[in-house]
Amino acid sequence: MSQSVLVVGGGPAGLSAAKSLASIGQNVTLVEKEEILGGAPILSGYAKLVPSGEWASEAIGRMVRSAENSKSIKVHTSTKVTELTGEPGNFSTKLSNGTEVSVSSVILATGFTHFDSVNKPEWGFGSHPDVVTTTQVEQMISSGKGVHCPSDGRKPDRVAILLCVGSRDRQIGREWCSKICCTVSANLAMEIREELPKCSVYIYYMDIRTFGLYEGQYYWRSQEEFKVKYIKARIAEVTFDGKRVLLKGEDTLVKRPISIPFDLVVHAIGMDPNIENQDISRVFGVELEPHGFIQRAPAYDSIAGTSRAGVYVAGAAVGPETIDDSIAQGQAAAMAALGMATNAA
Amino acid sequence: MPIHEESLIRPENLRKHEELNIDNVDVSGHWSTFIETRSVADYNENLEREISAFPGGAYIHRCWQCGACTNSCTVNAINPDFNPRYWIYLARLGMEQELLRDKEIIWQCVSCHRCTHVCPRDVEPEGVMKALSHWLEAKGHTPKSQSQHFDEEFYQQILETGKIEEGRIVRNFFNRTGQPLKQPWLIRMVKNLIRGLPIMLMFKMGLSTLFRPKTKDWSKSKHSIEELIEMRELERKKILEGNEAS
Repeated sequence: MSQSVLVVGGGPAGLSAAKSLASIGQNVTLVEKEEILGGAPILSGYAKLVPSGEWASEAIGRMVRSAENSKSIKVHTSTKVTELTGEPGNFSTKLSNGTEVSVSSVILATGFTHFDSVNKPEWGFGSHPDVVTTTQVEQMISSGKGVHCPSDGRKPDRVAILLCVGSRDRQIGREWCSKICCTVSANLAMEIREELPKCSVYIYYMDIRTFGLYEGQYYWRSQEEFKVKYIKARIAEVTFDGKRVLLKGEDTLVKRPISIPFDLVVHAIGMDPNIENQDISRVFGVELEPHGFIQRAPAYDSIAGTSRAGVYVAGAAVGPETIDDSIAQGQAAAMAALGMATNAA
Repeated sequence: MPIHEESLIRPENLRKHEELNIDNVDVSGHWSTFIETRSVADYNENLEREISAFPGGAYIHRCWQCGACTNSCTVNAINPDFNPRYWIYLARLGMEQELLRDKEIIWQCVSCHRCTHVCPRDVEPEGVMKALSHWLEAKGHTPKSQSQHFDEEFYQQILETGKIEEGRIVRNFFNRTGQPLKQPWLIRMVKNLIRGLPIMLMFKMGLSTLFRPKTKDWSKSKHSIEELIEMRELERKKILEGNEAS
């Protein structure tokens, strides 16, 4: 096992893959393009995670420290992979910091990019400061500043969360469901209500997809315990009435137009394919699926496979994914890499 | 905006003009009919809490709008405007004005309980319908219904004596609702009753009418029931006035 396994991406999936391999003594080269490890939960400053309720800085922080303290894991931050040549079991790879490593296999844990709300101008992001994204509200909470209106710092009395911003929208070429935003929004709504009990929180939805066990824990708990209101309406436009942000739309269950002022409007932004996926596809020689995520090999016949033998994939690189499932996929990819390493040795 | 599908619009929202000139364009005739702009401009945050404070309304928060209640509804089969699913939605979101539009039919529930049997979330819609009716009365949106008068007379008598005296209930009920005591069906019933010469029964009835006997040791029970009722009504009053300590 002298040869290393290359793990690309230091988020939950990559950290989990690296840690799994290290746990049985396999050498790992972990490459991260940003300055620090942790991926989206750390870089974007998430608050409390679903479903554990733990702070992201603590939960993902433990994973980061575990990777940094491992003797088997060599971490390269602020680094990208520039070249991958050779055969499965015997790849050779070049990094942007000049390092060359010989690896038996590659695990792509390259994650996703948050949808940029500027691409939906009718919903007011960028034209009024009190229209923010779920990520920004996460940061307000995790930084300890608390939920507030960016325009003047006041505590909001009414917050609207708009679901499916950058998801399920042909207009902007994003037809997929981002899977986690409903649950994240319900979680966020409860956190807002906990911090500001006098503040009303409304969630405007097309469908609610708090799948599996999240149904009780998030969808119903947010309504029954925290009195969060769910309104079936896709907002047509977000404007400004001089004092507050104005939502316009139709409550489809009562066939009635809505025109309601809010202090804070939150976009539940979706998960885009990693913005660098074209480069990733070229460097690693893997195909992308039609939406732009990394193409996964048929699930029944491979472990964490891509279109290229010896290159494996885990986490949100293959499509919107939860943190827990990304971690599980990281472990599966580690299993695949270990098989390759053992056969090559 | 101009429209031509007038049948789809509630008449009170139609705006017609005999002659109309907009920006020097004569639009009299077919194109001069407009819909009044109307939109939800606010929610009554307290409404769900108010409804759930009435007996039967406690589980309204569970509803997920599947419509099983409306589909199974006996009254809905006759009157499609009778829609428990819709009212539960309005109540939960606080769309009070929209709810009041239907105040003349909400109380028509016949309590067949089919909705309560089919509801997958145990909302108990039949109870919600009761709660809605009582809420309408308590808020003064509708006058007290006959059944409400009857209920009040009934429980007031029980509260006073621990017993009910049917003759008194009927008399007082008719009195409260402004109905004459001499109703043909009642006269017929009394005549039939007397025909059998039930001496013992008439003696007992006369006695209870004159002396209003109480249940033994009733005052203790009366006191605690009154306390409970007072407590509940105070709670409800606070909620209805929006002064609830949260």
